[in-house]
Amino acid sequence: MTGSNNSALRVLRSMWLLVVLLLLYVPIASVVLASLANTRYMRFPHRVWSLDAYAQALGTYTTANLHLTSLSIAVAVVIVSVIIASFGALAFARYDWAGRKLFRRLVLLPVFFPQPVLGLALLLYLTALGIVPDWKTAAFAHIVWVVPIVTLVISIRLYHYDVAQEEAAFDLGATRLQVFREITLPALAPGIVSGALFAFLLSWSNLPISVFTSGADTTLPEWLYSRTATNYSPLVPAVAVIGTAASAAIVLLAAALRPVFTRKR
Amino acid sequence: MVEASEPRPGILSTHGISKSFGELRAVDDVSIEIADGEFFTIVGPSGSGKSTLVRILAGLDRPDSGNILLRGEDITATPANARPTCMVFQSLALFTHRTVGENIEFSQKMKGVARDARREHALRMMEVVRLPREYYARPVTQCSGGEQQRVALARALASDPEILFFDEPLSAIDYRLRKILEVEMKDLHRRTGKTFIYITHSLEEAMVMSDRIAIMRSGTLIQTGTPHEIYRRPESRFVAEFMGEVNIFTVADGRLAELGIAAAQIEAPYLVVRPEYLRPAGNGDADFRFRAEVTNDYMLGSRTQFHLDAGGTSLVAELPALAAAGIAPGDVGEWGFDRADAVPLAD
Repeated sequence: MTGSNNSALRVLRSMWLLVVLLLLYVPIASVVLASLANTRYMRFPHRVWSLDAYAQALGTYTTANLHLTSLSIAVAVVIVSVIIASFGALAFARYDWAGRKLFRRLVLLPVFFPQPVLGLALLLYLTALGIVPDWKTAAFAHIVWVVPIVTLVISIRLYHYDVAQEEAAFDLGATRLQVFREITLPALAPGIVSGALFAFLLSWSNLPISVFTSGADTTLPEWLYSRTATNYSPLVPAVAVIGTAASAAIVLLAAALRPVFTRKR
Repeated sequence: MVEASEPRPGILSTHGISKSFGELRAVDDVSIEIADGEFFTIVGPSGSGKSTLVRILAGLDRPDSGNILLRGEDITATPANARPTCMVFQSLALFTHRTVGENIEFSQKMKGVARDARREHALRMMEVVRLPREYYARPVTQCSGGEQQRVALARALASDPEILFFDEPLSAIDYRLRKILEVEMKDLHRRTGKTFIYITHSLEEAMVMSDRIAIMRSGTLIQTGTPHEIYRRPESRFVAEFMGEVNIFTVADGRLAELGIAAAQIEAPYLVVRPEYLRPAGNGDADFRFRAEVTNDYMLGSRTQFHLDAGGTSLVAELPALAAAGIAPGDVGEWGFDRADAVPLAD
């Protein structure tokens, strides 16, 4: 009785898993399919299957340039936001002050602020300062939006961090620098890895802020958006697939490196 | 108790140390002398400043004024990492991302001791605190509360400190295990011969382990003495009341006000009587006698506690099981206590 119930439940559960996976991967699969056509209109099934779009994407300077711009922004965002967020998260874990809880909520507010409005506001601000927008200003704008999120991600890993560990290490004869290297950094490391991943992905895929703040430079999502809207060709899905593969590779690499950071000695 | 007769050389002394946090004077003009090899316990309720005091002694906080001498040498400005002392924290503060061995070896690693020597030293320390060798490679997060306690002790001992500080390390542990660890702590003190300075809010815990106890209240030490002295000769109502229930009588116009009986030759304004000194006095052999009704009885194992009503005043008495037989709630009779068992108090 219970045995048959259990097996029925198992079948249902695997079916549910299958549905979820399908929902997640069908859009990606359809993008891959679209990139294999040679027509200017999205239509299926294809009359002619072709890899021309990939050849074109890999052959043109634009593709490399788009990726380079997005990558530069994302890397800058990762480095700066992780540094700022680490100190912010440590301050949270280490000091208890009036309004600490309130600040924890306030720090997240910019996340709920509509991104295009944030982008426009930052553009006006930059213009007022006389700064010509390019990929660097876009990186700055991303940082404004990403830092609170990364701070939250790193803080979560530090909620159970006993700050007395640092005092204990100091009391056991460690110098301030040794305390940081032996105690603080290992405690922060898992949060830093997760935070860096978040920062990278949020910056890499961001459109609303980049549109306003990247100036003459074009990021990958910007180019994809404008070419899908106005001048579509299979080149667009082909570039998207290359971009997806590239970012997936980076995420997988980071995940593979994670144990190296977290289980040191 | 035997050592107390021959004075031991002092190891740590403080002279008028004070520390304030804003308006609050957490530690107020504290001077203590601690003897080499002594188990010295500072007892106080939460907020009495005892944790701040021990942090100052350990070098984790700086006093606003006053100085600290270690074997006569001023160490007030020496930070914790340069003092030959070590603290066991309330949270234990074990390095959670490391193994038992790595925790214990930490101080040696900071000194640059080679790996093999470190390991040998750590295993020796584990033996001292009775932690099995196979725990060496285990992550500390996989140890039980009692085992973590031992790891923290071994880690502190491994730095070979002259003085070990303890900031309520047993407060988060359940009653039975705490009783076992109290005995182990006392045993460890005897075997290592080191000076232990222990902080707790439990006078009961202090009584079990300490050579001497200091009672702290609102930043000052109000009484220092052996457990026996603290128990038998409290100098204030605060100290008398700190160790469980006591009976306190007010002396006015040569009478015990609550009982309305004569109290000749008692000059002090208060008289304290511990529950175990109140007894039935039907045969009239007690120095002070009064009539009381038994309102409740509580079995405490080897003793029984009685709540008494003496003309509207609630009193508490404790009798050994034999003497308690036959006394039940509702009984009215003569109760009393002797002059020698009553402690006069000025405050």
